[in-house]
Amino acid sequence: MRLPTLTLPKLGVGLAYQAPLAPLLAAAGAELDYVEIVPDILWTDLGRTAEPRYIDDRAGRAALEQASRGRPLVAHGIGLSIGSAGVFDAAHVEQVERWRRRLGFPWHSDHLAFHLAGHGDALMNVGITLPLPRDRETIDLLVPRIREVRQRVPVPFLLENNVYYFDIPACEMDEPTFLNRLCRESGCGLVLDLHNVHTNARNHGFDAAAMLAELELEHVGEIHVAGGMELDGFYLDAHSDTIPDPVWSLLEWTLPRCPNLGGVTFELFGSWFDSVGNARITADLRRLRALWTAASHPASRRVVAEPA
Amino acid sequence: MTALAFQTAMARLIVEPDFRDAVRGEGAGALPGPLTALEASRLVTIAHDRGLDMNRTLHKGFRLGKLRALLPLTCALLTPARLAREVAAFWQANPPASFSFLPEALAFCAFLERRPFRSAYLAEVLAYERATLELERARVGPAPAQSVRFGHDPVQLLGTLAAGRRPRSVSPRPCLLLGSKDGDAPLRWTLVDAVPPPSRYDRRHAADNDSGTKGIPT
Repeated sequence: MRLPTLTLPKLGVGLAYQAPLAPLLAAAGAELDYVEIVPDILWTDLGRTAEPRYIDDRAGRAALEQASRGRPLVAHGIGLSIGSAGVFDAAHVEQVERWRRRLGFPWHSDHLAFHLAGHGDALMNVGITLPLPRDRETIDLLVPRIREVRQRVPVPFLLENNVYYFDIPACEMDEPTFLNRLCRESGCGLVLDLHNVHTNARNHGFDAAAMLAELELEHVGEIHVAGGMELDGFYLDAHSDTIPDPVWSLLEWTLPRCPNLGGVTFELFGSWFDSVGNARITADLRRLRALWTAASHPASRRVVAEPA
Repeated sequence: MTALAFQTAMARLIVEPDFRDAVRGEGAGALPGPLTALEASRLVTIAHDRGLDMNRTLHKGFRLGKLRALLPLTCALLTPARLAREVAAFWQANPPASFSFLPEALAFCAFLERRPFRSAYLAEVLAYERATLELERARVGPAPAQSVRFGHDPVQLLGTLAAGRRPRSVSPRPCLLLGSKDGDAPLRWTLVDAVPPPSRYDRRHAADNDSGTKGIPT
């Protein structure tokens, strides 16, 4: 089967925007190439029956544009719930498109999960990304929706591999097989979140490197990296620290093998900024920049033979 | 249809501890249909998974975070134990409906307004924060003016809370705070005393002390 071609601009290293990180953005220099935003923070959704439904946050937009200092903006949404069995929110996709026209996202993404579920006649929003069964039925649900998103928002669309603290038993496919088939059949790309892979591997006891070795990396349009923390016997994708060594190892192996990669994004929740500290974050951004540069110049790059 | 019921049941396992406990105790018999045998089996396994409890912790943290972000003074005024009881009762009656913070915070305000409280200040602080949210909600057009009646000095009361301290012995001051918002401009509050101060000297002295609405968090 001929694979869909994923064409993204090569942006480099990005930071996931949160308002408390504005000082970091202001101080960052050449190590930071773009800013990733959750577009949903740019509006308030008053609900499907409200008219108007969306209140745009113009002050928030102004603060974002000031903080980003002219860097390209990439959208990473949280509100689509593309895997919800009973609902597909085309109005939400149109809202993303309105903001793409304003801010010029070169690509956009959301999560391969669901958070909206039916509850009587209404919808329940769990507020966290819940896993989907890795079954044929799920791919059949997702493919037409992804095509509709791609048609309504005319830039590449990526979905992020989910973090899950419980897995769905007896799935038809393992995760790489599921992701490969979904990307092939729908034409979407992947936000490969390596911290999610690391988190899932730790909590569920599988080999992260072996999982990555099974992925068709030409589908990867963006990589996410982050740090986490332990709580109640789980390792959490808490975005609470700098990048841990195992994730660096996964990145060093993966990055040179992604021919269609547009960027590598570092994620940190703003509430952790002070405790983690500007210096450690900046050091990580510089290390990411060095890896990106090495991978962009194959003659000088160091390709790691096996993921650690 | 069965995928819809499957996802609803999975979400309820996280949001509704009573439902989770029933599935743990009774197995598939506690699950509403229509579900395939595989879906029912998956849900029973998930109900016993420790990861489900971690998801509930994350879900509660997200939901509580929304309230603390938009109603910081009200949350600060409630003691941690009372806040925990109130949000538990609110969540029991109100399944999570929106990602956005504003509708959830307004619904919590409406819930708290119907609850009995002994705090002399809560009704005023809650009304002030609700009025602030109503002004924010109207951002797409001219915001309807908001009027909040205070029996205690709002500058002292709100300023103390905003500084992270619990208010004690706030001076009586019957007054109105009038809130307005014009487009993207910041919220504007004007304090109107219900009873004018008795003399010119006292009025000037009061102005020296609290300088109008200075100190009111916006």
